[in-house]
Order: sequence, then structure tokens, then C-alpha cells
Amino acid sequence: MDHFAIITAFGPDRPGIVALMADSLHQLGCNIEDTCMTRLRGEFTMMLMVRLPEGIVAEDLGRRLTPFTTPLDLAILCRAMPDQAASRQTPLEIPTFMLSVYGADHPGIVAQVARTVAQHQGNITDMNTRVIGSGDRPIYVMVMEVQLQEAQQADQLRQALEQLKPLLGVDLTFRLLESVTF
Amino acid sequence: MAIRPILQYPHQALKSTNAAVVPSDPAVQAVVQDMLDTLAASPGVALAAPQIGQAVQVIVVDVSRKKGERGHGLVVLLNPVILSLEGKKSVREGCLSVPDYTGNVLRYEEALVEGLTPEGRVVTVSASGFEALAFQHEVDHLNGLLFLDRIESLSTDLFRRKK
Repeated sequence: MDHFAIITAFGPDRPGIVALMADSLHQLGCNIEDTCMTRLRGEFTMMLMVRLPEGIVAEDLGRRLTPFTTPLDLAILCRAMPDQAASRQTPLEIPTFMLSVYGADHPGIVAQVARTVAQHQGNITDMNTRVIGSGDRPIYVMVMEVQLQEAQQADQLRQALEQLKPLLGVDLTFRLLESVTF
Repeated sequence: MAIRPILQYPHQALKSTNAAVVPSDPAVQAVVQDMLDTLAASPGVALAAPQIGQAVQVIVVDVSRKKGERGHGLVVLLNPVILSLEGKKSVREGCLSVPDYTGNVLRYEEALVEGLTPEGRVVTVSASGFEALAFQHEVDHLNGLLFLDRIESLSTDLFRRKK
């Protein structure tokens, strides 16, 4: 039976971080599966799902990795992944939407938007945010992918989001994500 | 005449080069019929010959198989080439030959495609919207390209700066 772990790791961005992480995992006998990595300003951040070799448990993986990654000053956290969560499944045909929100930056935009999505049983499956604009007039931009079990829930969520616009001073669009398969 | 399995990557037929065909060749007509049979039995709206393991330049497109789409109905093109493309758009695209994954690719809203009918007549098809996407996707197959070769942005990252 295969066992899986999720690793999150981050550190100051520089060339060679991915190479070092991948090489370290390879030397430990881990197999890298699904990953997501990006740069948040000056920090490079990684989330990796790995298949563990015999003899290594997730709880030990961080300790085993540290000697390899110390030169790059990476913070590392590992946790076992439930087998059910790790299994590959055919994506279901669930209605998927894109939500873009943007406006003058102030605290609470993410919290209120995410709360509204959650109250309508929306599941955020992917999300990026970025502060843009000039230093004295920062703009907040947020893009998220939202799945709803029922397409009918979309109208109610859209209305609730519309009501947030004046409250938060943001603009937003909520639209069906068209995905085409040929 | 038969329903053929739709090949999935890493089958190398999907990455090979494909030969131009002569319409009068009976073997070509047989490929066309197999593609039509396979399309009819598939959940999709279009196929390219390499997807059924035939290394020839034949595509079939019928977007009317999708609810709400009409386009030109069934179009069979031999040796198709895209003459022009207009109106860039980003599309989340998937492929029957690359199951369970989609990616954001750069496509065009309008496509002008030229090819031969199975009878050997030169035709141009001016496609837009969903049908234009289908033609772009299928012509890519004839050139050994999958949507994976065209992924231009990762997940929802809309923030990448244009250089």
C-alpha cells in the first residue's frame, strides 16, 4: 500500500530551489506527484504531494529533508496524507465558476468574499491574490475558482456577491468557467 | 468500417507527423468512415485521424453534437490548413486523448480553414466560437500538437506580466 505526504516549504527565492528539493526527495526515495509552486514576492513557496518509500513516515520526512535543504534556508512542514485524499479520481462534472474581485486595498476583502462563497456552499478550489497599483494607492486583486454542487446556486451567490460590492468598495465579476473538451 | 479506440497519450501516434492524403485513395475513404463511426460513438464533437492511429491529415468536426451549438454541422476535411485566425482568447481546454486534465490555452475566436472534401473539392470554412476552437484543436493534432503544448498560464494566474 502506497503512503503519501504533503510537504510545504518556502524560502528566499533564488535559482536552484526546485532542483535541490527534487534532488533531495529523490535521494530519500520519495516520488514527487502533484505539486503547486509559486513565488510570493521574494519568497519561493512549494506545496508537494509525494509518495513515500518503505521505511519513511511523513513525520520523519521533514527531519530527513532538513540536512539537504539547510543551505537554502527553507522552512519545511510535512504531514501524512489520508489514503482516500491521495487517490487519483476522475474529475466530476461540477459547475465551476471564476470570481474576480478588485478594488482599493483594505483589510477584510478576502474574509468577506470567502465567507459569502462559503455561505452558499461554494467550494474554493484555486485562488490567487495580488496587491498591485502604486505604493500610496494599492489595489487588491483576487481571482478564485469556485465549484458549486448545483448550478442553480449560482444566481443566489451572484446576488450576494453583488451586495458586497458597495460594502467593500470593490468591483467583481462571477462567471461560469467554460471548459471545452475535444 | 468500425468504431476505433480513441488513443490516449503516451501513444506515439499522437506525436507523429501525418501525411497529406489523396481523396480518391480508397484507404482514405475507409479512414474517414472509421472516424465518422468513432465520432458518433464518442462523447466528443471532433476527431483527428492520429487519434485513431492513422497518420494522415484528416479531421472530422461536428459541433452540432453539442447542445446549443450548430456551426456548419458535420465537416470532413482532408489536408486542412488554417488560413487565418482572429481574436485571441484564453480557453480552458481538454482532450479525449489526454483524460482528466484541462489547461488554459491561447486560441482564437475566428478561424478560416481550407481543405478538401472527401470528394476532392477545395473548400474554406469560416468558423467562429466553439467551432473555431474545435478546428484549431484538430489541426493541432495533425501537427502532433496537444493542448499540453500550448498551455500558457498555470491555474488561475492572471497576473503574469507581458514582457
